[in-house]
Amino acid sequence: MSSAPATERTPGASDARKVSVAQILVYELRVRDAMTQPAITAAPGDTLRSIQHLMKAQRISGVPITDGGALLGIVSIEDIIWALDKGYIDDPAEQHMARSVITLRDYFTLVRAVAEFDRHEFGRFPVLDSNDHLVGVITRGDITTCLMQHLERRAEEALAHEAELRAARTADRTAHRVVVRAPVRTGDYDNAGKVSQRIRQLLRDRGIDPEIRRRAAVVAYEAETNIIIHSLGGEILALIDPEKIVIEAVDTGPGIENIDQAMQEGWSTAGRLPRELGFGAGMGLPNIKRCSDKLEITSDNEHGTRLHAEVLIKKAGTTS
Amino acid sequence: MNTHLIKLEELLPSIQAQLLTGSAQADVDGCYISDLLSDVLARAQPGVLWVTIQTHRNVISVAATKDIAAVLFTCDRRPEPGIIAEAEDQGIALLRTSLTTFEAAGRLWESGLRE
Repeated sequence: MSSAPATERTPGASDARKVSVAQILVYELRVRDAMTQPAITAAPGDTLRSIQHLMKAQRISGVPITDGGALLGIVSIEDIIWALDKGYIDDPAEQHMARSVITLRDYFTLVRAVAEFDRHEFGRFPVLDSNDHLVGVITRGDITTCLMQHLERRAEEALAHEAELRAARTADRTAHRVVVRAPVRTGDYDNAGKVSQRIRQLLRDRGIDPEIRRRAAVVAYEAETNIIIHSLGGEILALIDPEKIVIEAVDTGPGIENIDQAMQEGWSTAGRLPRELGFGAGMGLPNIKRCSDKLEITSDNEHGTRLHAEVLIKKAGTTS
Repeated sequence: MNTHLIKLEELLPSIQAQLLTGSAQADVDGCYISDLLSDVLARAQPGVLWVTIQTHRNVISVAATKDIAAVLFTCDRRPEPGIIAEAEDQGIALLRTSLTTFEAAGRLWESGLRE
Protein backbone atom coordinates (compact mmCIF):
# COMPACT_ATOMS: atom_id res chain seq x y z
CA MET A 1 0.00 0.00 0.00
CA SER A 2 1.48 3.28 -0.99
CA SER A 3 0.36 6.63 0.29
CA ALA A 4 0.04 9.91 -1.54
CA PRO A 5 2.59 12.64 -0.92
CA ALA A 6 1.24 14.56 2.06
CA THR A 7 1.73 17.92 0.41
CA GLU A 8 -0.01 17.05 -2.81
CA ARG A 9 -3.03 19.22 -2.20
CA THR A 10 -4.45 20.99 0.79
CA PRO A 11 -7.75 22.54 -0.20
CA GLY A 12 -9.12 25.45 1.80
CA ALA A 13 -11.63 24.50 4.45
CA SER A 14 -14.32 26.52 2.72
CA ASP A 15 -13.90 24.43 -0.45
CA ALA A 16 -14.88 21.37 1.51
CA ARG A 17 -18.14 22.67 2.93
CA LYS A 18 -20.53 21.56 0.23
CA VAL A 19 -19.35 18.03 -0.53
CA SER A 20 -18.14 15.48 1.95
CA VAL A 21 -14.43 14.95 2.36
CA ALA A 22 -14.77 11.36 1.16
CA GLN A 23 -16.41 12.58 -2.05
CA ILE A 24 -13.54 14.94 -2.65
CA LEU A 25 -10.96 12.29 -1.90
CA VAL A 26 -12.25 9.86 -4.52
CA TYR A 27 -11.70 12.57 -7.11
CA GLU A 28 -8.35 13.69 -5.74
CA LEU A 29 -6.72 10.38 -5.04
CA ARG A 30 -5.33 8.29 -7.84
CA VAL A 31 -5.07 4.57 -8.41
CA ARG A 32 -1.33 4.84 -7.71
CA ASP A 33 -2.13 6.15 -4.22
CA ALA A 34 -4.21 3.11 -3.32
CA MET A 35 -2.69 0.18 -5.24
CA THR A 36 -0.51 -2.53 -3.76
CA GLN A 37 2.96 -2.26 -5.16
CA PRO A 38 5.04 -3.83 -6.38
CA ALA A 39 2.61 -6.38 -7.74
CA ILE A 40 3.23 -10.02 -6.88
CA THR A 41 3.76 -11.59 -10.29
CA ALA A 42 4.75 -14.84 -11.90
CA ALA A 43 6.63 -15.61 -15.12
CA PRO A 44 4.92 -17.19 -18.16
CA GLY A 45 6.92 -20.38 -17.67
CA ASP A 46 5.92 -20.84 -14.00
CA THR A 47 3.59 -23.77 -13.39
CA LEU A 48 0.02 -23.22 -12.27
CA ARG A 49 0.90 -25.24 -9.16
CA SER A 50 3.65 -22.80 -8.18
CA ILE A 51 1.18 -19.97 -8.73
CA GLN A 52 -1.30 -21.77 -6.47
CA HIS A 53 1.37 -21.89 -3.74
CA LEU A 54 2.13 -18.22 -4.31
CA MET A 55 -1.55 -17.32 -3.89
CA LYS A 56 -1.77 -19.31 -0.70
CA ALA A 57 1.42 -17.84 0.76
CA GLN A 58 0.56 -14.23 -0.17
CA ARG A 59 -3.21 -14.59 0.47
CA ILE A 60 -4.10 -13.23 -2.94
CA SER A 61 -6.63 -14.44 -5.48
CA GLY A 62 -5.02 -13.41 -8.74
CA VAL A 63 -1.49 -13.23 -10.12
CA PRO A 64 -0.44 -11.17 -13.16
CA ILE A 65 1.94 -12.95 -15.51
CA THR A 66 4.70 -10.64 -16.69
CA ASP A 67 7.81 -10.69 -18.77
CA GLY A 68 10.28 -7.88 -18.18
CA GLY A 69 7.61 -5.61 -16.74
CA ALA A 70 5.17 -6.17 -19.60
CA LEU A 71 1.81 -7.67 -18.67
CA LEU A 72 1.06 -10.87 -20.63
CA GLY A 73 -1.97 -12.22 -18.80
CA ILE A 74 -3.46 -13.06 -15.44
CA VAL A 75 -4.13 -16.26 -13.52
CA SER A 76 -7.06 -16.15 -11.10
CA ILE A 77 -8.01 -18.58 -8.38
CA GLU A 78 -10.79 -19.84 -10.66
CA ASP A 79 -8.20 -20.79 -13.27
CA ILE A 80 -6.39 -22.79 -10.57
CA ILE A 81 -9.61 -24.59 -9.58
CA TRP A 82 -10.24 -25.48 -13.24
CA ALA A 83 -6.61 -26.71 -13.58
CA LEU A 84 -6.96 -28.95 -10.53
CA ASP A 85 -10.29 -30.24 -11.81
CA LYS A 86 -9.06 -30.95 -15.34
CA GLY A 87 -5.63 -32.16 -14.25
CA TYR A 88 -3.31 -29.62 -15.90
CA ILE A 89 -2.06 -27.96 -12.71
CA ASP A 90 1.57 -28.65 -13.65
CA ASP A 91 1.31 -26.84 -17.02
CA PRO A 92 3.07 -23.48 -17.43
CA ALA A 93 0.89 -20.43 -16.81
CA GLU A 94 1.19 -19.11 -20.38
CA GLN A 95 -0.84 -22.04 -21.69
CA HIS A 96 -3.93 -21.26 -19.63
CA MET A 97 -3.77 -17.68 -18.40
CA ALA A 98 -6.41 -15.15 -19.43
CA ARG A 99 -4.73 -12.99 -22.06
CA SER A 100 -7.23 -10.21 -22.62
CA VAL A 101 -6.85 -8.49 -19.32
CA ILE A 102 -8.71 -5.34 -18.35
CA THR A 103 -6.28 -2.99 -16.67
CA LEU A 104 -6.40 0.37 -14.94
CA ARG A 105 -3.86 3.15 -15.36
CA ASP A 106 -2.00 4.41 -12.32
CA TYR A 107 -3.15 7.99 -13.01
CA PHE A 108 -6.89 7.15 -13.00
CA THR A 109 -8.88 8.73 -10.19
CA LEU A 110 -10.30 6.42 -7.57
CA VAL A 111 -13.82 7.39 -8.62
CA ARG A 112 -13.04 5.92 -12.04
CA ALA A 113 -11.53 2.82 -10.45
CA VAL A 114 -14.68 2.29 -8.40
CA ALA A 115 -16.74 2.59 -11.59
CA GLU A 116 -14.57 -0.06 -13.26
CA PHE A 117 -15.07 -2.41 -10.32
CA ASP A 118 -18.83 -1.88 -10.69
CA ARG A 119 -18.75 -2.48 -14.42
CA HIS A 120 -16.63 -5.65 -14.42
CA GLU A 121 -17.00 -8.25 -11.76
CA PHE A 122 -13.29 -8.69 -11.11
CA GLY A 123 -11.84 -8.71 -7.63
CA ARG A 124 -8.68 -6.92 -8.77
CA PHE A 125 -7.18 -4.99 -11.65
CA PRO A 126 -3.54 -4.97 -12.72
CA VAL A 127 -2.33 -1.37 -12.84
CA LEU A 128 -0.18 -0.08 -15.71
CA ASP A 129 1.76 3.13 -15.90
CA SER A 130 1.81 5.30 -19.01
CA ASN A 131 4.64 3.16 -20.46
CA ASP A 132 2.47 0.03 -20.21
CA HIS A 133 4.57 -1.37 -17.39
CA LEU A 134 2.83 -3.27 -14.64
CA VAL A 135 3.28 -1.17 -11.50
CA GLY A 136 0.75 -2.66 -9.07
CA VAL A 137 -2.54 -4.37 -8.39
CA ILE A 138 -5.62 -2.73 -6.95
CA THR A 139 -8.60 -4.26 -5.13
CA ARG A 140 -11.73 -2.70 -3.64
CA GLY A 141 -10.15 -3.32 -0.25
CA ASP A 142 -7.13 -1.22 -1.25
CA ILE A 143 -9.45 1.67 -2.15
CA THR A 144 -11.31 1.45 1.14
CA THR A 145 -8.09 1.33 3.15
CA CYS A 146 -6.63 4.26 1.24
CA LEU A 147 -9.76 6.38 1.77
CA MET A 148 -9.83 5.56 5.47
CA GLN A 149 -6.20 6.57 5.88
CA HIS A 150 -6.68 9.85 4.08
CA LEU A 151 -9.89 10.64 5.94
CA GLU A 152 -8.05 10.05 9.17
CA ARG A 153 -5.22 12.31 8.08
CA ARG A 154 -7.66 15.05 7.06
CA ALA A 155 -9.44 14.76 10.38
CA GLU A 156 -6.14 15.02 12.25
CA GLU A 157 -5.14 18.04 10.19
CA ALA A 158 -8.47 19.72 10.88
CA LEU A 159 -8.18 19.06 14.60
CA ALA A 160 -4.59 20.33 14.66
CA HIS A 161 -5.62 23.44 12.75
CA GLU A 162 -8.46 24.09 15.19
CA ALA A 163 -6.16 23.61 18.16
CA GLU A 164 -3.65 25.97 16.58
CA LEU A 165 -6.29 28.65 16.08
CA ARG A 166 -7.54 28.23 19.63
CA ALA A 167 -4.02 28.43 21.01
CA ALA A 168 -3.28 31.53 18.95
CA ARG A 169 -6.45 33.20 20.14
CA THR A 170 -5.96 32.48 23.80
CA ALA A 171 -2.18 32.54 24.23
CA ASP A 172 -0.86 35.68 22.65
CA ARG A 173 -3.33 37.16 20.28
CA THR A 174 -1.35 40.31 19.60
CA ALA A 175 1.72 38.43 18.42
CA HIS A 176 -0.30 36.45 15.93
CA ARG A 177 -0.47 37.66 12.38
CA VAL A 178 -3.80 37.27 10.65
CA VAL A 179 -4.28 37.18 6.94
CA VAL A 180 -7.53 37.53 5.08
CA ARG A 181 -7.57 36.99 1.36
CA ALA A 182 -10.78 37.00 -0.62
CA PRO A 183 -11.87 37.48 -4.22
CA VAL A 184 -14.19 40.36 -5.13
CA ARG A 185 -16.33 40.15 -8.24
CA THR A 186 -17.22 43.01 -10.52
CA GLY A 187 -20.81 44.27 -10.29
CA ASP A 188 -21.54 42.09 -7.27
CA TYR A 189 -23.37 44.79 -5.31
CA ASP A 190 -25.29 42.22 -3.30
CA ASN A 191 -22.10 40.98 -1.71
CA ALA A 192 -20.47 44.37 -1.28
CA GLY A 193 -19.08 44.60 2.21
CA LYS A 194 -18.77 40.86 2.83
CA VAL A 195 -14.98 40.88 2.83
CA SER A 196 -14.69 44.04 4.90
CA GLN A 197 -17.18 42.56 7.33
CA ARG A 198 -14.79 39.66 7.91
CA ILE A 199 -11.91 42.04 8.44
CA ARG A 200 -14.02 44.14 10.80
CA GLN A 201 -14.99 41.08 12.82
CA LEU A 202 -11.35 40.03 13.10
CA LEU A 203 -10.37 43.46 14.36
CA ARG A 204 -13.21 43.37 16.86
CA ASP A 205 -12.17 39.89 18.03
CA ARG A 206 -8.64 41.12 18.57
CA GLY A 207 -9.84 44.03 20.68
CA ILE A 208 -8.46 46.71 18.35
CA ASP A 209 -9.34 50.25 19.46
CA PRO A 210 -12.77 51.14 17.98
CA GLU A 211 -11.51 54.29 16.24
CA ILE A 212 -8.68 52.37 14.54
CA ARG A 213 -11.07 49.54 13.71
CA ARG A 214 -13.53 51.92 12.07
CA ARG A 215 -10.79 53.56 10.01
CA ALA A 216 -9.52 50.19 8.79
CA ALA A 217 -13.10 49.12 8.10
CA VAL A 218 -13.73 52.20 5.97
CA VAL A 219 -10.54 51.53 3.99
CA ALA A 220 -11.53 47.90 3.44
CA TYR A 221 -15.11 48.72 2.51
CA GLU A 222 -14.23 51.48 0.07
CA ALA A 223 -11.49 49.37 -1.51
CA GLU A 224 -13.89 46.45 -1.83
CA THR A 225 -16.67 48.50 -3.41
CA ASN A 226 -14.16 50.16 -5.76
CA ILE A 227 -13.32 46.73 -7.16
CA ILE A 228 -17.04 45.94 -7.55
CA ILE A 229 -17.93 49.25 -9.18
CA HIS A 230 -14.91 50.06 -11.30
CA SER A 231 -12.85 47.00 -12.06
CA LEU A 232 -13.10 43.73 -13.93
CA GLY A 233 -12.70 41.91 -10.63
CA GLY A 234 -9.93 41.43 -8.13
CA GLU A 235 -9.20 40.57 -4.57
CA ILE A 236 -8.77 42.05 -1.12
CA LEU A 237 -5.88 41.06 1.08
CA ALA A 238 -5.65 42.10 4.71
CA LEU A 239 -2.74 41.57 7.07
CA ILE A 240 -3.21 42.29 10.72
CA ASP A 241 -0.15 42.30 12.94
CA PRO A 242 0.57 44.01 16.25
CA GLU A 243 1.80 47.24 14.63
CA LYS A 244 -0.54 47.78 11.74
CA ILE A 245 -3.41 46.73 9.56
CA VAL A 246 -2.45 46.43 5.92
CA ILE A 247 -5.19 46.36 3.32
CA GLU A 248 -4.39 45.64 -0.29
CA ALA A 249 -6.85 45.75 -3.14
CA VAL A 250 -5.66 44.33 -6.41
CA ASP A 251 -7.74 44.21 -9.55
CA THR A 252 -7.20 43.07 -13.10
CA GLY A 253 -8.08 46.34 -14.79
CA PRO A 254 -8.97 48.49 -16.58
CA GLY A 255 -6.90 50.79 -14.38
CA ILE A 256 -7.43 54.35 -13.18
CA GLU A 257 -6.88 56.85 -15.95
CA ASN A 258 -5.89 59.74 -13.75
CA ILE A 259 -5.11 58.98 -10.12
CA ASP A 260 -4.79 62.65 -9.10
CA GLN A 261 -8.26 63.30 -10.44
CA ALA A 262 -9.64 60.19 -8.71
CA MET A 263 -8.23 61.44 -5.41
CA GLN A 264 -10.35 64.59 -5.65
CA GLU A 265 -13.53 64.54 -3.64
CA GLY A 266 -16.64 64.43 -5.80
CA TRP A 267 -14.94 63.13 -8.92
CA SER A 268 -16.45 59.82 -10.00
CA THR A 269 -16.70 57.63 -13.07
CA ALA A 270 -19.39 55.38 -11.60
CA GLY A 271 -22.35 54.47 -13.80
CA ARG A 272 -26.06 54.85 -13.14
CA LEU A 273 -26.75 51.65 -11.20
CA PRO A 274 -24.07 52.13 -8.56
CA ARG A 275 -25.11 55.77 -8.19
CA GLU A 276 -28.71 54.75 -7.58
CA LEU A 277 -27.49 52.43 -4.87
CA GLY A 278 -25.70 55.30 -3.17
CA PHE A 279 -22.23 54.60 -4.50
CA GLY A 280 -20.24 56.80 -6.81
CA ALA A 281 -20.15 59.87 -4.59
CA GLY A 282 -16.58 60.39 -5.67
CA MET A 283 -15.44 59.96 -2.09
CA GLY A 284 -14.05 56.44 -2.11
CA LEU A 285 -10.37 57.15 -2.58
CA PRO A 286 -10.46 60.38 -0.52
CA ASN A 287 -12.07 58.36 2.28
CA ILE A 288 -9.36 55.71 2.03
CA LYS A 289 -6.70 58.41 2.12
CA ARG A 290 -8.24 60.12 5.13
CA CYS A 291 -8.55 56.86 7.07
CA SER A 292 -5.13 55.38 6.32
CA ASP A 293 -1.69 56.34 7.62
CA LYS A 294 0.01 55.30 4.42
CA LEU A 295 -1.44 54.90 0.96
CA GLU A 296 0.12 53.81 -2.32
CA ILE A 297 -1.81 53.38 -5.53
CA THR A 298 -0.33 52.12 -8.74
CA SER A 299 -2.47 51.73 -11.80
CA ASP A 300 -2.11 51.17 -15.49
CA ASN A 301 -4.10 49.75 -18.37
CA GLU A 302 -2.11 46.58 -18.59
CA HIS A 303 -1.96 45.41 -14.99
CA GLY A 304 -4.97 47.07 -13.40
CA THR A 305 -4.86 48.78 -10.05
CA ARG A 306 -3.03 47.92 -6.86
CA LEU A 307 -3.93 49.81 -3.73
CA HIS A 308 -1.83 49.41 -0.59
CA ALA A 309 -3.10 51.10 2.56
CA GLU A 310 -1.82 50.89 6.11
CA VAL A 311 -3.58 51.82 9.31
CA LEU A 312 -1.22 51.94 12.27
CA ILE A 313 -2.29 50.38 15.54
CA LYS A 314 -1.18 52.66 18.35
CA LYS A 315 0.60 51.02 21.24
CA ALA A 316 -1.38 50.98 24.47
CA GLY A 317 -0.64 54.04 26.56
CA THR A 318 0.27 56.34 23.70
CA THR A 319 -2.13 59.09 22.78
CA SER A 320 -2.93 60.63 19.47
CA MET B 1 -18.77 66.53 22.40
CA ASN B 2 -21.94 66.51 24.40
CA THR B 3 -23.12 62.91 24.30
CA HIS B 4 -26.77 63.29 25.03
CA LEU B 5 -28.30 59.83 24.66
CA ILE B 6 -31.87 59.46 23.47
CA LYS B 7 -33.74 56.17 23.37
CA LEU B 8 -35.39 55.19 20.11
CA GLU B 9 -38.73 54.81 21.88
CA GLU B 10 -38.64 58.54 22.65
CA LEU B 11 -38.29 59.29 18.93
CA LEU B 12 -40.61 56.72 17.35
CA PRO B 13 -43.98 58.46 17.95
CA SER B 14 -42.94 61.89 16.65
CA ILE B 15 -41.54 60.54 13.39
CA GLN B 16 -44.40 58.03 13.05
CA ALA B 17 -41.85 55.27 12.68
CA GLN B 18 -42.16 51.54 12.84
CA LEU B 19 -39.31 49.55 14.38
CA LEU B 20 -38.33 46.80 11.89
CA THR B 21 -35.62 45.22 14.02
CA GLY B 22 -33.62 46.05 17.12
CA SER B 23 -34.68 47.36 20.51
CA ALA B 24 -36.73 50.50 21.18
CA GLN B 25 -34.51 50.84 24.24
CA ALA B 26 -31.42 51.36 22.05
CA ASP B 27 -29.71 54.72 22.46
CA VAL B 28 -28.65 57.15 19.75
CA ASP B 29 -26.53 60.19 20.43
CA GLY B 30 -26.92 62.11 17.22
CA CYS B 31 -28.12 61.99 13.66
CA TYR B 32 -26.63 61.95 10.19
CA ILE B 33 -28.54 62.34 6.96
CA SER B 34 -27.20 61.22 3.61
CA ASP B 35 -27.99 58.94 0.72
CA LEU B 36 -24.39 58.65 -0.37
CA LEU B 37 -22.64 55.72 1.26
CA SER B 38 -19.13 57.14 1.06
CA ASP B 39 -20.34 60.39 2.57
CA VAL B 40 -21.66 58.45 5.56
CA LEU B 41 -18.37 56.57 5.79
CA ALA B 42 -16.55 59.89 5.77
CA ARG B 43 -18.66 61.93 8.17
CA ALA B 44 -21.08 59.96 10.31
CA GLN B 45 -20.14 59.50 13.96
CA PRO B 46 -20.50 56.12 15.65
CA GLY B 47 -23.69 55.66 17.67
CA VAL B 48 -25.88 57.93 15.56
CA LEU B 49 -29.22 57.49 13.86
CA TRP B 50 -28.70 57.50 10.09
CA VAL B 51 -31.59 58.78 7.97
CA THR B 52 -31.66 57.68 4.34
CA ILE B 53 -33.86 56.59 1.45
CA GLN B 54 -31.36 53.89 0.45
CA THR B 55 -32.62 50.44 1.38
CA HIS B 56 -30.00 48.30 -0.32
CA ARG B 57 -28.08 45.91 1.87
CA ASN B 58 -24.95 48.03 1.53
CA VAL B 59 -26.62 50.39 3.98
CA ILE B 60 -26.17 47.70 6.63
CA SER B 61 -22.51 47.18 5.68
CA VAL B 62 -21.83 50.89 5.92
CA ALA B 63 -23.72 51.23 9.21
CA ALA B 64 -21.74 48.29 10.64
CA THR B 65 -18.49 49.76 9.36
CA LYS B 66 -19.12 52.99 11.25
CA ASP B 67 -20.81 51.43 14.32
CA ILE B 68 -23.98 53.34 13.51
CA ALA B 69 -26.68 52.45 16.05
CA ALA B 70 -29.85 52.78 14.00
CA VAL B 71 -31.04 53.48 10.46
CA LEU B 72 -34.29 55.25 9.58
CA PHE B 73 -35.70 54.65 6.09
CA THR B 74 -37.89 57.56 4.99
CA CYS B 75 -40.39 58.17 2.17
CA ASP B 76 -42.12 54.87 2.89
CA ARG B 77 -39.17 52.84 1.66
CA ARG B 78 -38.90 49.33 3.02
CA PRO B 79 -35.86 47.05 3.01
CA GLU B 80 -36.21 43.39 2.04
CA PRO B 81 -36.58 40.82 4.84
CA GLY B 82 -33.03 39.53 4.22
CA ILE B 83 -31.65 42.99 4.93
CA ILE B 84 -33.63 43.25 8.15
CA ALA B 85 -32.20 39.89 9.23
CA GLU B 86 -28.70 41.09 8.43
CA ALA B 87 -29.17 44.22 10.51
CA GLU B 88 -30.43 42.08 13.36
CA ASP B 89 -27.24 39.98 13.16
CA GLN B 90 -25.14 43.12 13.24
CA GLY B 91 -27.07 44.64 16.15
CA ILE B 92 -28.31 47.60 14.13
CA ALA B 93 -31.84 48.88 14.74
CA LEU B 94 -33.93 49.58 11.63
CA LEU B 95 -36.86 52.00 11.49
CA ARG B 96 -39.13 53.09 8.69
CA THR B 97 -41.51 56.00 8.23
CA SER B 98 -43.65 57.40 5.43
CA LEU B 99 -42.44 60.92 6.24
CA THR B 100 -39.96 62.56 3.89
CA THR B 101 -36.38 62.94 5.03
CA PHE B 102 -36.97 66.67 5.60
CA GLU B 103 -40.08 66.10 7.71
CA ALA B 104 -38.36 63.38 9.71
CA ALA B 105 -35.30 65.56 10.28
CA GLY B 106 -37.44 68.42 11.58
CA ARG B 107 -39.28 66.20 14.02
CA LEU B 108 -36.08 64.52 15.21
CA TRP B 109 -34.67 67.95 15.94
CA GLU B 110 -37.78 68.92 17.86
CA SER B 111 -37.59 65.69 19.84
CA GLY B 112 -34.21 66.76 21.15
CA LEU B 113 -31.82 65.03 18.76
CA ARG B 114 -29.52 67.94 18.01
CA GLU B 115 -26.03 66.54 17.49
